[in-house]
Amino acid sequence: MAERNLKKEIKAKLQDEVMQDALSRFADQYPGSRLKSYAGQDIEALRESLRCMKAEAVEEIDDLADKFEENVKARGGVVYRAKDGDDVKQFLLKICEENGVKRVVKSKSMASEEIHLNECFTQNNIRVKETDLGEWMIAIAGHKPSHMVMPAIHLNRYQCAEMFEKELQEEVPGEDIPYMIQKARQTLRQEFLQADMGITGANFGIAENGAIGLVTNEGNARLVTTLPRIHVVLIGYEKLIPKTEDAAKILRLLPRNGTCQKMTSYMTMVDGPTPVMYKKDGKWVEENRKQYVILLDNGRLEAAHDPVMKQVYQCVRCASCLNVCPIWTLVGGHVYGHIYSGGIGAILTGLLNGIENFSQFSDLCIGCRTCTTVCPGKIPIPDLIDELRNRYVKKHGVPTMDKSFFDNVLNDRGLFHKLLLKAGSVGQAPFKSGKFIRHLPLFFAGMTKGRSLPTIAERSIRDRMPALEKKNPAHAKKKVAFFSGCNTDFVFADTGENVVKVLQSLGMEVVYPMAQSCCGKPILGVGDRETGKKAAKRNIEALESVNPDVIVTSCPTCAETLSETYEKLFEDDPVWGPRAKAFCKKVREFSSFVAEEYKAQGKLLPTAGGEKVTFHDSCHMKRGLGIYEEPRALLDATPGVELVEMKNCDKCCGMAGSFGMKYAEVSIPLLEEKVENIKATGATTCVVACPSCMMQIGGGLDNQNTGIKVKHIADVLAERL
Amino acid sequence: MKKVCANWPAEAFISGLVDAKHWQAFEENAKLAAAEIYKVSDYKAAEKTLKDVLQEFSPKEIIAVGGEENSVLAGIYSRLATDTTKVYTEKFDIAEHAPSADVGISTAEFGIGETGSLVVDNFSYEARVTSMLPFVNVVFVNANYMVENVTTACQIIGKVFDKGYCGFVTGPSRTADIERVLSLGVHGPNRLIVIAVENEGGEN
Repeated sequence: MAERNLKKEIKAKLQDEVMQDALSRFADQYPGSRLKSYAGQDIEALRESLRCMKAEAVEEIDDLADKFEENVKARGGVVYRAKDGDDVKQFLLKICEENGVKRVVKSKSMASEEIHLNECFTQNNIRVKETDLGEWMIAIAGHKPSHMVMPAIHLNRYQCAEMFEKELQEEVPGEDIPYMIQKARQTLRQEFLQADMGITGANFGIAENGAIGLVTNEGNARLVTTLPRIHVVLIGYEKLIPKTEDAAKILRLLPRNGTCQKMTSYMTMVDGPTPVMYKKDGKWVEENRKQYVILLDNGRLEAAHDPVMKQVYQCVRCASCLNVCPIWTLVGGHVYGHIYSGGIGAILTGLLNGIENFSQFSDLCIGCRTCTTVCPGKIPIPDLIDELRNRYVKKHGVPTMDKSFFDNVLNDRGLFHKLLLKAGSVGQAPFKSGKFIRHLPLFFAGMTKGRSLPTIAERSIRDRMPALEKKNPAHAKKKVAFFSGCNTDFVFADTGENVVKVLQSLGMEVVYPMAQSCCGKPILGVGDRETGKKAAKRNIEALESVNPDVIVTSCPTCAETLSETYEKLFEDDPVWGPRAKAFCKKVREFSSFVAEEYKAQGKLLPTAGGEKVTFHDSCHMKRGLGIYEEPRALLDATPGVELVEMKNCDKCCGMAGSFGMKYAEVSIPLLEEKVENIKATGATTCVVACPSCMMQIGGGLDNQNTGIKVKHIADVLAERL
Repeated sequence: MKKVCANWPAEAFISGLVDAKHWQAFEENAKLAAAEIYKVSDYKAAEKTLKDVLQEFSPKEIIAVGGEENSVLAGIYSRLATDTTKVYTEKFDIAEHAPSADVGISTAEFGIGETGSLVVDNFSYEARVTSMLPFVNVVFVNANYMVENVTTACQIIGKVFDKGYCGFVTGPSRTADIERVLSLGVHGPNRLIVIAVENEGGEN
């Protein structure tokens, strides 16, 4: 496996203006067009019915495959079960030889791309043509598709025209798209009419009757399954469904999510060999076409029997997870390296092409969970990526840097703070402006390009807590253990102080167990579950020791880790399992806890007018914890502020934990978009409920000298106590 | 003509699910998908509409299926032929002329309100080339044979689909592969013209 220079590949894509323009326009239009195609439909009910049907299908995949095979055979088709790409190729070359096949047309087969089938045909002097317009153009240029549904989305009409010229050896005007379409029609029509064999994939295969279904707009699949005398179906096990009726569950979502259409132009079902006519010795004859159905494994069956990975069977290849992915819309599909791009592509690559290929670009999922809100099969894509990262680490270990930094530094708070201050004093003194560092010297410069970084607080929250705890109310309503998380502890200690003040104003006793450390997310994020468990145990012990009623954190990522991940980490542990479960139940995200208490105390009432503020939803808070109404209700109830919503308020700001530092080149364009959307509201403050977003957005607003402030919701509330 | 089901209304339709009340949704969604829709009272009106529609294309060759099953359609097809327009309805003639024909005339079993799709039974080779190879595809359908959505459509198909070739046709062939600009007629027809007959037993 060749080592890739991902950063270099990303840089090239970011400089590709044609692609950048195409993808940003598409990303803007897609969400609205998708929703329009669902008008009048209960999207959630449709998604759930698809998820259910596919989840049940994978449970009985071996039976389904047997039935499917039996039914294809009963109708006169030949079934071949192929374990991998080589197996498919050998089988196909044999059929080609037996039948004298010299020309092949293809339609709708990602699986054939997965196993590099075209190269095999070409090497054996068999002419093979893709017939989907986009794939045909891409194949002429020797490129790979950059999207599963729109393979040529990264190109403009002039680049497409160049591919036409290469194939047709004549001048093709790039401004005339209809002319190109007609040229493609004429050229490919001859390919269809002369082909000896047609190869299709399948959007689904029906066990009860052996039929396959194909969803296309151009109609090429209908021609591939009609004109040649041999039809080969290359279908993965994940496409099998029990009944014809079940196809509806796919068909009501796939076109809407894939191309924002209620239905594509053609949905075709082929069941067994069907009639074909051709001229024999100058006379027309009719006979049954030969049909070969190849069931492709290539890692799929192992995935089907894997308790976590079996969820990939819920994928219908609509590519909507790419369409909403903030990273894909910046870097395009090619950097994912294989055929399947985006989040689901990363997973499929890991399962079908090996976990080592996956690891080379698995960083590109920032865990923002936007894809989980649109996926028709409701696949928890970021969770499956996390699981694959864990498996990679189990197999190959953690990069030493990550592990020793975590063990020695993040877990040792005193050392961490000293180190940060020391690093800060080098960088900070000459470069500081207010609370931000504008520039960093030498190789750190990339981090401050496009954003300022916050300075390190001289006194961390843990240093301030003993004094703050003295102000606890005498007759406390509840005992709250405050879990600060790293950012609030060392960078936004002022915000930490405000969290304590707001909680105390609600009659809470706030305590800060000093033995708490990093929640463990950074190390869990790179896949090191064992070190993550150590951090979890340390925190559970530390917070349990003060016997709190509630554990509050003002960082939604910590909240998610503490309340959800800890339980999962120990689910098979008889001792720590129940302990973690009890712990997790007590964990609350700051703004939702405060909103609940405000409401109980009759303080959650709307007020009118004041300073314009806008609110940015953190990914982990909105899509991880499902919290987005509560902070808005708090802002509405705060006198002197008026909330104005920004465009794409819940789109990732680009920080995503350490991603924003590691991939500054991808992070900064996301930040710039966020800053533009904030500026457009006319707000003077951007309110957040997440320290990571606060660091990123604050840095962007400062870098651009917008004069707009960033505040944590705890700051806004505390200012008006 | 070989079909998945010889008599869809009798063998496939599920009582209560096929209803003329879904026509409006069908018409609206089919038009959104760029299909052209003509609803006519009976076959006499259908024949006039067909002839009017064909004028635009001055077809030299027409290929047509559905006449074997429906003698009224067969009659209409026979009256389309003129000195300059040849009409082919025999299967080998259709195969011979499909690559050069200007217009293909075919039939659909029923329509789907939710999506504006026609459900087509294309077991026969001639039905497939007729509806796919020429630039223009005219489709006859009974205006009363409409279902609410894709779920009910698949239930009906599931009752009879044991072997063969069938599916949905929703508007003409289209692509958006170049700059996401919509273009019609890339591999299949660029015009899909639906003639929906309200009273099939009426004057013809």
